[in-house]
Amino acid sequence: MNRVRMIQFSALAILVLLAACATPTPQVIEKVVEKPVEKIVEKTVVAERTVVVQPTAVPGRDTLVVALARAPSGIDPADHSSREAETVIRNLYDGLVTRDKTSGVHNEIAESIKWLDTKTLEIKLRKGVKFHDGSELKADDVIYTFERVFKPNAIEFPQPHTALRKGFLGPFGSAEKKDDYTVVVNFTAPWPAAMQMLVHTQIVSKAYVTKVGTKGLIEKPLGTGPFKFVSSKTGLEEVVLERFADYFGGAPDLTPVGKACVSRAVFRVIPENSTRVAALLAGEVDIITEVPAELVDTLKKVPGVQVKSVAGTRPIWMEFNVTQAPFTDVKVRQALNYAVDKNLIIKKVYNGLAQPLGGALMPTNNFADPSLKPYTYDKAKALALLKEAGWTPDASGMLMKDGKPLAFVIDTIDSLRPVTEAVATMLRDVGIDASVRVWEYNVVRPKLLARERQAYVGDWGDSAFDPVGHIEAKWHSLVTGSTYGRGNFSGYANARVDKLIKDGEIENDVAKRKVIYNEAQKLIYDEAPALFLVLPEAIEAAAARVQNWAPASDSRENLHDVCLK
Amino acid sequence: MKAIKILERVLTTIPIMFGVAIIVFFFIRLTPGDPVDIMLGRSAAASQREIEQLRHQFHLDEPLHVQLGYFLGDALRGNLGYSYIRNKPVVDLLVERLPATIEMTIGALLISLIIALPIGILSAVRQNSLLDRLSMAGAFLGISMPGFWLGIVLILFFAVYLQILPAQGRISYDVELQEVTGLYVLDSLLTGNLPALKDSLLHLLLPSITLGAGVAAIIARVLRSSMLEVLRSDYVKLARAKGATEWDVVMKHALRNALIPTVTVVGLQVGVLLGGNMIVETVFSWPGLGRLVVDAIFNRDFPLIQGAVMIYAITFVLTNLVVDILYTYLNPKITL
Repeated sequence: MNRVRMIQFSALAILVLLAACATPTPQVIEKVVEKPVEKIVEKTVVAERTVVVQPTAVPGRDTLVVALARAPSGIDPADHSSREAETVIRNLYDGLVTRDKTSGVHNEIAESIKWLDTKTLEIKLRKGVKFHDGSELKADDVIYTFERVFKPNAIEFPQPHTALRKGFLGPFGSAEKKDDYTVVVNFTAPWPAAMQMLVHTQIVSKAYVTKVGTKGLIEKPLGTGPFKFVSSKTGLEEVVLERFADYFGGAPDLTPVGKACVSRAVFRVIPENSTRVAALLAGEVDIITEVPAELVDTLKKVPGVQVKSVAGTRPIWMEFNVTQAPFTDVKVRQALNYAVDKNLIIKKVYNGLAQPLGGALMPTNNFADPSLKPYTYDKAKALALLKEAGWTPDASGMLMKDGKPLAFVIDTIDSLRPVTEAVATMLRDVGIDASVRVWEYNVVRPKLLARERQAYVGDWGDSAFDPVGHIEAKWHSLVTGSTYGRGNFSGYANARVDKLIKDGEIENDVAKRKVIYNEAQKLIYDEAPALFLVLPEAIEAAAARVQNWAPASDSRENLHDVCLK
Repeated sequence: MKAIKILERVLTTIPIMFGVAIIVFFFIRLTPGDPVDIMLGRSAAASQREIEQLRHQFHLDEPLHVQLGYFLGDALRGNLGYSYIRNKPVVDLLVERLPATIEMTIGALLISLIIALPIGILSAVRQNSLLDRLSMAGAFLGISMPGFWLGIVLILFFAVYLQILPAQGRISYDVELQEVTGLYVLDSLLTGNLPALKDSLLHLLLPSITLGAGVAAIIARVLRSSMLEVLRSDYVKLARAKGATEWDVVMKHALRNALIPTVTVVGLQVGVLLGGNMIVETVFSWPGLGRLVVDAIFNRDFPLIQGAVMIYAITFVLTNLVVDILYTYLNPKITL
């Protein structure tokens, strides 16, 4: 009993403190908050000795409720730009292929996919796959979906525009119907990343969309997925789905195959971290996403709560502006990589739920070079390298060169403030005057691309687990007007790396591709245009009655497999 | 005569709205940050041509005065444009969110009046008593407690610990309710749906208390000080000298005059509450206007910000008008 009380006590206290810390102006409010917190927690425990804080869902409820941190940005498979949207959409729709909980790709609607040559893909469709209106999915639907995603201005509502998901079809050229169940897709260039990227395109019904238009599709989505659309409220703050009785079963490789286990599923948006956790504890929701790392230990101790995590897909770096002193000197950049203790950051900021980065690609990327080990924490080596670069400590320990201190501002966004502050503290420890400035991403981005800033701690999604879509954005030199270097905030430009990145994009042979990307990664690792930091894990929690659930690497909540006890 | 005056006042909102529209139009465009960039997502692989296309589609590539022309032209026809991010008409988005905000405002206002009126009156009548000191200390606490903190504490105590009130949302997902006005409590009454009435009232309670606590504190303090002033005035002494009961003196003679400054404050607070309270809405995952607007600002969703600010402006102007009309009833000497 005492243990339970202790758990209650700490869970409540941490939640309240978290809430206190979540304010945009913490300094002002902290003082007001501290004392009442203790009082209320104390009072609660004394008054309600027998109450156990644990999820107590409504008895007999066969509805699975999932709390998302943000509202989906849309519900049209062709036209959205957020992971929450993809989560909802992929429960309503299926793709030709899908991904397992890590990075493996498996056929879903496609029965087989084969390359006829480096630019031509033959897709054979499974027979008997039905849309939610009972019609059968055929080649025309796949072709229509591709064209709707790729063709300029193919989305007519609210005004004609090009689908936001166009980038996921790579160098798409055209698609032809060979027969009702066979589609041949022609690309304008080889596209080795095709399988990983096609996971993100879900098939719509040509007959339905032609009939109801985009507006109709948004208002009442219709796919082939394990769940049918029932209703949505206030934008997409709540989306209700129900089991599709005629579901074809899903990817045969991924068990269990068959209809969805639960009869109803609800996605609800609960933006505040503390409320999301509270809703789980109150039994109002069954699964919560984006659990703050600092709450994991406490939640794990609460009876009836499962906490699980999986490697995320947003690696974090501190990019140096290599076009400006002092970062023009590779020794300074390497030194800083040695000066930061990534393991300490993982322990303190991420509660152990992150892994250090060994270079340009996250360790879970299918083409990450495992031989590249993260820079170790070695303060002496960092100082030696800085000395070679001409930076020596003065009497107070500050690093100086030509009478000037080694000082710079690290820019970041609010969500990465804790890790950035940790980095700045460690850099100050070796004698660098590093300070932190927090921006809105869309405000700082143009400044970074214009090379106006000095250092930037940022992350970049890599949910396709393939270098394409990621490596050309971050580490290819900036080519204005193209997608190359669109996220290159360091100004790093290496002609050899650029060539390797382009070669890798069109090399279909996996072994050869690995050789190409390994060379690129080694060059980036050695030249260190960034301080390679960490890959945080995605953390989720669920009530005890939730079975067969695990968070997925690409942040998708696949509710098909989940059951309720 | 009064009707004409009211109509005059309503008509004066037109130039105000026009001014607000222009100011907001220019101010949001002065804020750094590109809506198209945000719309495409953080890691979007859009080419420059596609970005230009989107910019063209939203008229963002045209000079500011031309953009203003489009905006005003559309606004005059009642079309506030489409939200960049949400792909929906702005008017629809506002209409969708407004009922949630109105419902929480009414809830908060009722809670605050229930708390503030007796406290304000009693602490003035028994000035410097223990009750006065306690209630004023309570009012001080009410003003000082940040909404997000009070909200979380209430959630923890009533939803997690006692499990008697819901932690979030406006209604349970498994409670069926036919929407009529969008105000769930009212809709439940209109459709005679008792389970929905109970459920929506329970959902409304914690957000209303959280939001109402601060307002109650302000109202109680204002009412107390104006009551104190009125109670010292000659006509109250006269009423007492006439032998009126203490109840009549306080409730009939004093309170009516003391309510004038209080009504002003309540009016202003209603304006503020109707603007949506982003923090309380976030804590209780309440799908109101405040969260929508804050999201819109972060997304640089120009049409949505413009539309929402116009709603705020109308709300403030109309609330002030209602307050002025109430004045005339409280004190017939005041005219519109």
